[in-house]
Amino acid sequence: MIQKASDKVGAVLVVGGGVGGMQASLDLAESGYKVYLVEKAPSIGGVMAQLDKTFPTNDCAMCTLAPRMVDCGRHPDIEKLIYSEIESIEGEVGNFKVSIRKKARSVDPDKCTGCGECVAHCLVRNIVYMDRPGREPVQMEESMRVKVDDILDSYRGGPEIIVPILHDVNEEFNWLPPEALLRIAEVKEIPIEHILRIASFYNAFSLTPKGKHVIRVCTGTACYVKGAQRILDTFARELSVDVGGVTEDGQFSLETVNCVGCCGQSPVITVDEDIYGYVNQTMAQDLLGKYT
Amino acid sequence: MPHITNVMICTCTNCISNSALDIRDSLESEIKRRELEDDVLVVPTGASGLCVNGPILIVQPEGIFYQHLKTKDIPNLVEEHFLKGRPVKSLMYVPPGQDSPIPELRSIPFFKDQRLIALRNRGLIDPDSIDEYIARDGYKALAKVVTSMKPEAVIKEISDSGLRGRGGAGFPTGRKWESRRKDPRTPKYVVCNADEGDPGAFMDRSIIEADPHSVIEGMAIGAYAVGASSGYVYLRMEYPLAVKRMQLSIEKAREYGLLGEDILGLGFDFDLQIFKGAGAFVCGETTALVASIEGKIPEPRQRPPRTTLWEKPVVINNVETWANVPVIVNWGAKWFSQIGTETSKGTKVFSLAGNINNAGLVEVPMGITLREIVYNIGGGIPKGKQFKAVQTGGPSGGFIPASLLDLRVDYEQLDAAGSMMGSGGMVVMDENTCMVEMARYFVDFTNDESCGKCTSCREGSLALLQILQRICRGEGREGDVELLEELAEAIKDASQCGLGQSLSNPVLSSLKHFREEYEEHVKNKRCPAGVCKALITFDIDKEKCTGCRLCAKKCPQDAITGEAKEPHVIDQEKCIKCGVCVDVCKFEAVSIT
Repeated sequence: MIQKASDKVGAVLVVGGGVGGMQASLDLAESGYKVYLVEKAPSIGGVMAQLDKTFPTNDCAMCTLAPRMVDCGRHPDIEKLIYSEIESIEGEVGNFKVSIRKKARSVDPDKCTGCGECVAHCLVRNIVYMDRPGREPVQMEESMRVKVDDILDSYRGGPEIIVPILHDVNEEFNWLPPEALLRIAEVKEIPIEHILRIASFYNAFSLTPKGKHVIRVCTGTACYVKGAQRILDTFARELSVDVGGVTEDGQFSLETVNCVGCCGQSPVITVDEDIYGYVNQTMAQDLLGKYT
Repeated sequence: MPHITNVMICTCTNCISNSALDIRDSLESEIKRRELEDDVLVVPTGASGLCVNGPILIVQPEGIFYQHLKTKDIPNLVEEHFLKGRPVKSLMYVPPGQDSPIPELRSIPFFKDQRLIALRNRGLIDPDSIDEYIARDGYKALAKVVTSMKPEAVIKEISDSGLRGRGGAGFPTGRKWESRRKDPRTPKYVVCNADEGDPGAFMDRSIIEADPHSVIEGMAIGAYAVGASSGYVYLRMEYPLAVKRMQLSIEKAREYGLLGEDILGLGFDFDLQIFKGAGAFVCGETTALVASIEGKIPEPRQRPPRTTLWEKPVVINNVETWANVPVIVNWGAKWFSQIGTETSKGTKVFSLAGNINNAGLVEVPMGITLREIVYNIGGGIPKGKQFKAVQTGGPSGGFIPASLLDLRVDYEQLDAAGSMMGSGGMVVMDENTCMVEMARYFVDFTNDESCGKCTSCREGSLALLQILQRICRGEGREGDVELLEELAEAIKDASQCGLGQSLSNPVLSSLKHFREEYEEHVKNKRCPAGVCKALITFDIDKEKCTGCRLCAKKCPQDAITGEAKEPHVIDQEKCIKCGVCVDVCKFEAVSIT
């Protein structure tokens, strides 16, 4: 294509009002071009507005997005064509003719303050949200299903029941099997993503199977000052397992616990439900014999 | 007919870990065998305080204190003491460095200097028996407020007493209640924060295990004052015994009509339930705690607006704060405010642990000096070692060096020293503790427990940790110490919640008081305390070694060689610096340099 410099319009059309489109519009507008920003959704922002954090830096998505949205919204040289779609493009570089269909919004954008009252009171929108496509029923062993369902039956209520349910499931199976979590999501209609976030946030819940006996070395300050690290090293060496791991034969899990509140008898370890005080390295070696 | 003698056996988690339950059983069967069951009653109690010497038994009414009991001691003890009336000297407490035992609890220095308010019933009642609590003036304060006091009067009493939050921040309790009372939204809630996450702290566990009803009564009074009708006890799952005792006590209180609808028949409704935590340190922060109860991700949020539970007003107080409330109501604000200092009233419970002779739970009036706690009550440092520092306030607190031992303990003084009151953990450290390593330990803890919301806390703690780790590995660089300081200040300024704002305290306070130790690690690649593995070597002193072969047998690497009765040698190539040889050597022949 040959450029016809004399026909250059001096305006730019940006298609899509996501974070990329907004940044492009801002850069262009700042360089002196008139920008037309076309977005098919009812608002600029795009997918990033739905994200909590972004990969790989874990930065807050809204912190990146919000300043650009505000700048775009206020910029006098950016004309926002929201809820609009491109029908056709003609012309050549430097001089295009684009026809855009602006869909009926039935809201006067100059008067709207974005209060959201109309959404809350709209009956039709709520119907759309209720017609969610169903998921496949969760496949799991019958014995596990009975146990999980028994636990689920004993809880009624909203999202506040999730931690107590996870406590019970974790106690029953010694970890949180994926099928059990899917079953909780299915029966209690809590998004599986939320359940996973809760389950991975707390130290008490395990997403991997544990050994038959769980050894927890207390690494609270009092125990640490009195040599908990050396006790931990001894167990790791004797069992040839890393902290947080399970021995090859599945007999022992080795973990740390922040404080069991038995600081008077530090260093302290717990094996399953049993607590042992004044542990030293020799005793640690002997203790393993008791559980094998 | 009442029993002549009551035997109070401590059944807290500490003593149970030392087979206190077996001792109770053998005591009961032995008493039966001797046909003494009409005269002697065995009462299981909560922690008596001197946890390090558990299992503990106190014979009342004489108050004879027995410690370090074993099951095999029991037949002799029963025969001598209960049958022949001769207390057994060999099982009594002997002060460090002395020969003669002290038979009576009240004469032991550890107990003599304490003043019990929150722990008023410890070692005296069976925590599972509501009747015994009632016999010790229990629920009298609740009856008093419900029958004869207006809610405003209760709040005024608490305000006048000068009670401040015992969870660490020290916010005036009366002012907190007042603001929730004035909040027009209903229903209102009261919450007991028993998510005692500070490592090295066990006050809340002990209070709940020894006297759960004092917390329930305090909460009921608080609920009456602010107009709440339901409440939660947010309890750590790491404390199974406390959860069990709390649950049982709530059920008992309901049965007696002290919880539930129409309490004491006077039209006041209040009920309580337990919410079991799930092992997240950050849940001790109030905004995270309520998010956890609501089933949300327990990330703290910016305050103001004030913390709410399901968008309704909520009073959140620590276990110890609640346990103080009934006493204040019974004895009056004037009495309470006479104890303590100008700004910090009443007493504070500390859990004394680490390198100290009398590790355990102490309750002392505010304004007592650290020296009194460490030396008079705590009995000093074991094995005649040097005191180096005391760490208060857990991972959010700081180190207080020997030069500040005469500091008076209250909220303001501890803050000024670069530490904080915190929930009351007090870990004593001796000369063999490396301050750089301890700072690394705390930052490792907070880095692990950071919820990850704020960049300054999430990434900042990691950066701090990496620098401290390389200093401990002997790879510290010139300028690292200054970098630590700058970074620590920045994290303090930029973080949102208490966890982030205070995580640099251990680093800053150790830098302030033990800077030369950092310099020694960085410049001379030496760990003066002999802790950091990369910077130390183990050697056997030829003069002291008797060739007993014990260390050679225990060494996991077979790094120690030598003929019997000849001095041994450590092969430095094989040595992994585990320290077993130091532990087992009876002649102190292994030296660390």
